[in-house]
Amino acid sequence: MTNSKPLVQRRQVLTLARHEVGRSLFSRRSLAVYLLVGMPLALMLLRALFMPGSMRADATHATTEFAEVFHFFLLRFVVFFANAMIFVRLFRGEILEKSLHYTLLAPLSRTVLVIGKYLGGVVSASLILVLTTTLTYILVFLPHGAAGVQLLLSGSGIANLASYLLIVVLACFAYGALFMLAGLFFKNPMVPAILFLGWETLTPFLPAFLKVLSFVHYLVSFAPVPVSLGAFALLARPVSWWIALLALFTTSALLVFVASRVARHLEVTYSAD
Amino acid sequence: MSPDHILFRNVSKFYGEVLGVNKVNLEVASGLTGLVGPNGSGKSTLMHLMTGLLRPSRGEVSVLGISPDHPEELFRKVGYCTQYDNFPNGSTGLSFLQFALALHGYQKSEADERAWAALARVGLTDAANRRIAGYSKGMRQRIKLAHAHCHDPQILVLDEPLNGLDPMGRAEMIDLFTELAKEGRHVIVSSHILHEVDVISDGVIMIHGGAIVAEGEIREVRGEITSHPIQVLIRCDRPHTVASRLFELEHIVEARVVEDEGLLVSTRDAPDFFNKFNRIVIDTGVVVETVAPADESVHAVYDYLIGEGLGGGSA
Repeated sequence: MTNSKPLVQRRQVLTLARHEVGRSLFSRRSLAVYLLVGMPLALMLLRALFMPGSMRADATHATTEFAEVFHFFLLRFVVFFANAMIFVRLFRGEILEKSLHYTLLAPLSRTVLVIGKYLGGVVSASLILVLTTTLTYILVFLPHGAAGVQLLLSGSGIANLASYLLIVVLACFAYGALFMLAGLFFKNPMVPAILFLGWETLTPFLPAFLKVLSFVHYLVSFAPVPVSLGAFALLARPVSWWIALLALFTTSALLVFVASRVARHLEVTYSAD
Repeated sequence: MSPDHILFRNVSKFYGEVLGVNKVNLEVASGLTGLVGPNGSGKSTLMHLMTGLLRPSRGEVSVLGISPDHPEELFRKVGYCTQYDNFPNGSTGLSFLQFALALHGYQKSEADERAWAALARVGLTDAANRRIAGYSKGMRQRIKLAHAHCHDPQILVLDEPLNGLDPMGRAEMIDLFTELAKEGRHVIVSSHILHEVDVISDGVIMIHGGAIVAEGEIREVRGEITSHPIQVLIRCDRPHTVASRLFELEHIVEARVVEDEGLLVSTRDAPDFFNKFNRIVIDTGVVVETVAPADESVHAVYDYLIGEGLGGGSA
């Protein structure tokens, strides 16, 4: 084997990412994630089944309805917890399965290990959540018949969907980095995850200088349809798309960097975990 | 840092308040080295430290001049078969090795070739496409061995590698270790079963309560234990005659005829004993079948040094 170091590292990253995609999509533990992402689909199916005839005829509300479902349920609950489940398991799952040592016994730097696992997580979470969001979006419009389909396939319908999908993918990068780090730090990372969810939920009611410390603040800046956050929400100047992108990617990169530093000191003491 | 030895310099490892190993100084050369100690003595901790799965609380470890802090270099040269009996969910023997080799950076064709070669070496070719979860204990042990040596490492660290193997499997694996050591590799094998280590090792490291109590070739180690007389078993046609002559020597502590075995002699001066014994044989015309050390075994030495058995017996 006479390959250059960057080439070998690239292969290692791809191998790890592929392995993580397989684990995240097809293992028995993925069932919890599929149940979670099945919730908005089930809700939209029920809505379609029991929608009164008068509402069916009017497709104009569908765009706003999806915006509300996306803000309050998909992004703040489904996307958040699906990322938590997928990324926390990248390291913590292997520690619990007592199989992490096989990866640690490979000739790869801990930075390569963290990047490979992270990318695998991002691909898996994005695949699952992009599909969920798209199906939910379609299910919101379909019950309205031809008018709904026309709205869905119109320029704004497709553009809105693309914006929502961008938010979902960016959320996978940002929440993913955070939850991977949490999986390295905490024995039960779901506790800090729930605390962080609390913080993200409170964001609309926080002053502007605290809003910048949440991911959702930047993510919603890409939302194509504004939603009302209630009477008590404190309004802040919207973030421009490039600042939001920069903030999300910089924070994600920083969290991945910290995770790689933590991983350098990772020890195999399964009995203590 | 020695480029061809494994070095421990004043290494200690604590798990919180609990001591793992304490002030270990070691230098391991190539060949087959046995790491011996009862359960909980610190064998696995020592092996984990060697391979970077644990970091020393104090001191320094170097493997062929490489610090375990650099896994990207270390694991090109080291393979480790741990005691953990868990595997990635859903893996087959073949996919498990293919993944490991892909992580080494091998292209698929070469990874496949090496994976099949490693499976053949441990006798698992037929079970290659079966899930590891359905393997017997012995097969799981073999696949771990295949994982440890599939990338052709210079150092093999094997933690209790014979656990769970049947006698035939043990014999095959012992042959494999010997073969690998003869190829000039470092093969470090831990065991709490002393006669196993006796059979396979060139040298031995004895650990107890987290401290190294002896290291080196077993004969050398035995020679340094002056508190216990050296025992020699003589098989000859007239043991009583030899015994009576031996009692004339000052350093003879005991000479006892053991039925069906021979004359068991305990002496505090082995070199002088062998000199004088030759004289006795010539003078008396006794026909000697064998003269062999009776306590130059790991078991005896361990007993002398630690003063207790290992508990594991001789399975």
